[in-house]
Amino acid sequence: MANPPASLALGVSANRQLCRDHFRLTLCTEDFPAARPGQFLYLGPTVHADLGSTSSGTLGLRDSLPMPFLRRAFSIANLRRADGKCFIDVIYRVVGAGTQWMAGLRKSDQVSAVGPLGNGFGPRPENHDLWFVAGGVGFPPLMWLANSSADQANSRVFFFGASCADFVPSILSCGEDAGRASEIPGCAAVIATDDGSLGVRGTVVDVLTKYADKRKPDGPKITVYTCGPEVMMRAVVEFCSSRSLECYACLERAMACGFGTCQSCVVPVADELDGQGWRYALCCTEGPVFEASRIIWNHP
Amino acid sequence: MVTQNIESIDLSVRLGSLRLANPLMTASGTSGYGPELTSFIDLRKNLGAFVTKSVTVEPRKGNPPPRTVETSGGMLNAIGLANVGLERFVAEKTPFFEELNIPVIVNVAGHSIDEYVTVCCRLDSIDCVNGLELNVSCPNVSDGLEFGTDPVRLGELVATVRREVSNSLLIVKLSPNVTDIVTTARAAIESGADCLSMINTLQGMAINADSRRAILANTCGGLSGPAIKPVALAMVWKVYNRVAREAKVPIIGMGGIATWRDAVEFHLAGATALAVGTTLFVDPEAPAKILGGLRDYLDCNGISSVSELIGQVETR
Ligand SMILES: Cc1cc2nc3c(=O)[nH]c(=O)nc-3n(C[C@H](O)[C@H](O)[C@H](O)COP(=O)(O)OP(=O)(O)OC[C@H]3O[C@@H](n4cnc5c(N)ncnc54)[C@H](O)[C@@H]3O)c2cc1C
Ligand SMILES: Cc1cc2nc3c(=O)[nH]c(=O)nc-3n(C[C@H](O)[C@H](O)[C@H](O)COP(=O)(O)O)c2cc1C
Ligand code: FES
Repeated sequence: MANPPASLALGVSANRQLCRDHFRLTLCTEDFPAARPGQFLYLGPTVHADLGSTSSGTLGLRDSLPMPFLRRAFSIANLRRADGKCFIDVIYRVVGAGTQWMAGLRKSDQVSAVGPLGNGFGPRPENHDLWFVAGGVGFPPLMWLANSSADQANSRVFFFGASCADFVPSILSCGEDAGRASEIPGCAAVIATDDGSLGVRGTVVDVLTKYADKRKPDGPKITVYTCGPEVMMRAVVEFCSSRSLECYACLERAMACGFGTCQSCVVPVADELDGQGWRYALCCTEGPVFEASRIIWNHP
Repeated sequence: MVTQNIESIDLSVRLGSLRLANPLMTASGTSGYGPELTSFIDLRKNLGAFVTKSVTVEPRKGNPPPRTVETSGGMLNAIGLANVGLERFVAEKTPFFEELNIPVIVNVAGHSIDEYVTVCCRLDSIDCVNGLELNVSCPNVSDGLEFGTDPVRLGELVATVRREVSNSLLIVKLSPNVTDIVTTARAAIESGADCLSMINTLQGMAINADSRRAILANTCGGLSGPAIKPVALAMVWKVYNRVAREAKVPIIGMGGIATWRDAVEFHLAGATALAVGTTLFVDPEAPAKILGGLRDYLDCNGISSVSELIGQVETR
């Protein structure tokens, strides 16, 4: 069982651009519950602290008219404790009003967070080769996972797919060197771009296929972890099932509460105990990580 | 500023036979079956009563996703009454309520009068269930029309359930998707409702201009959150003044309550108790904050009991 989530005010300690459309927000607090890769934070503007204690003053729940109104979910990209403080990274892409608000955050601003939420990645199998397959803004949870799997893994490879070099965050390559990820020490990195402007030309699945074909049949077992655009994940999952590789997918769903009360975030999964052989699982509590073979992708 | 002993302020309210230690409740469908919220607040201290998600006879998987979408100042939902069904509800969810020590109200939904009766009869016999709230915003299988939009049909449903329910407080949750909510409120009261709750969500739709598609898989959904507060206030005020006050039927007001100010406004419009819904998604600690603010407001204004606010709005 994961730790119960908390509702916390977090301070902004940094907010930096990583590449054309990725930013890294570092949040800081004195105390944060234990968390694991795959879990996420649910972020929003600070809820008025004096909301409860004054009869004049505030008109709304938020400083200004709530925008965004609901919180936004972001995978924890890293969590480190130092000097009696806890630093939490999230890496985000600006796609709309909520992420625009995040891009405007400055050092020492405050944000309101609920977390850690979700059921993250389970324990990694010992002595497997671990392949992390990310696309777009799906890399943050896998980056933390890769960094915390160094001890158990036989070897680690981080695959990242993007349309062109501009969309490859510098932390996943060392400049022109697409074979190393500067922030995942000791882990091989393989970058695939649609136009070949960095790394290999093609999709991540093209690269996975090449890698798998090169392997000796009696090598260590491979476990695959994937997160990214749904089309990419489906292709990765299909590839894994064709090669009988164990695979876990970290999904995104539209959410309202993030902790299991609203029933927004359903994912159809196979379930032999159900009369119809399937049920809806909640992405926010049972997920966002699912054993890929259980996910029903072509659900009507 | 008038200051009294803040501990002596009476926040309790009465809903028929039930006494609530404070007027705040959860709105059905926004707090699951209870345990999820306990990570954030002490339910016993901060809620006057707990209201569950709708329960139906059979388990329901609900609608396909996307089921919710944010809209200006609120959200649309089309969850589709996803729930574990009556028997699993009784077996798996009621043990939590036995320990809760605050009144528990189960929201009941159905697609035929028989279905409502089956659920209500079963729950009425369970000790830890103190109230039944009829969600009448469901389409009737026989003609697809909502029970709650037609006073005759609503009256028939409420009267039938009334004959079967003897222990629990019978609450009718009114649909705002009507021309005149006073008419349906009157039908519910005349058919034996002990209490009214209002409002359920307003029908709405969201469209993506780029893809030219409806955003919800169900096309339409129910609008909730601060965006609907003015509509809810007007409806509570009308029903209180035109039927409920005279009939001595208390109203549970809801629709966008997010702050202690909203809580005060709903009391002034005529609500005895208040339910917090969508706000819990944004701030699961909101009930504690609203309660603190309400207490301070009463203190600052020299009011000793929250009941003194009910229906006291001055109109111009
Ligand atoms: C568990 C989880 C983890 C996530 N982790 C990250 C992360 O690490 N980094 C990151 O950048 N993003 C992440 N996301 C997605 C992130 O929540 C959305 O990008 C964000 O909500 C968009 O908010 P907005 O207001 O900027 O855009 P909006 O205006 O709300 O939306 C802009 C576009 O994004 C789409 N969108 C909105 N919400 C989601 C969503 N939840 N999932 C998929 N598409 C959505 C909308 O359909 C629209 O096309 C995660 C989502 C989930 C559910
Ligand atoms: C996600 C969601 C699910 C809901 N489910 C139910 C339900 O099962 N039964 C019901 O009577 N009302 C349901 N409602 C309506 C709420 O109980 C409430 O009447 C409405 O949302 C207005 O209050 P609010 O603006 O505070 O949310 C639901 C609302 C939301 C947002
Ligand atoms: S987001 Fe509310 S149940 Fe998952």
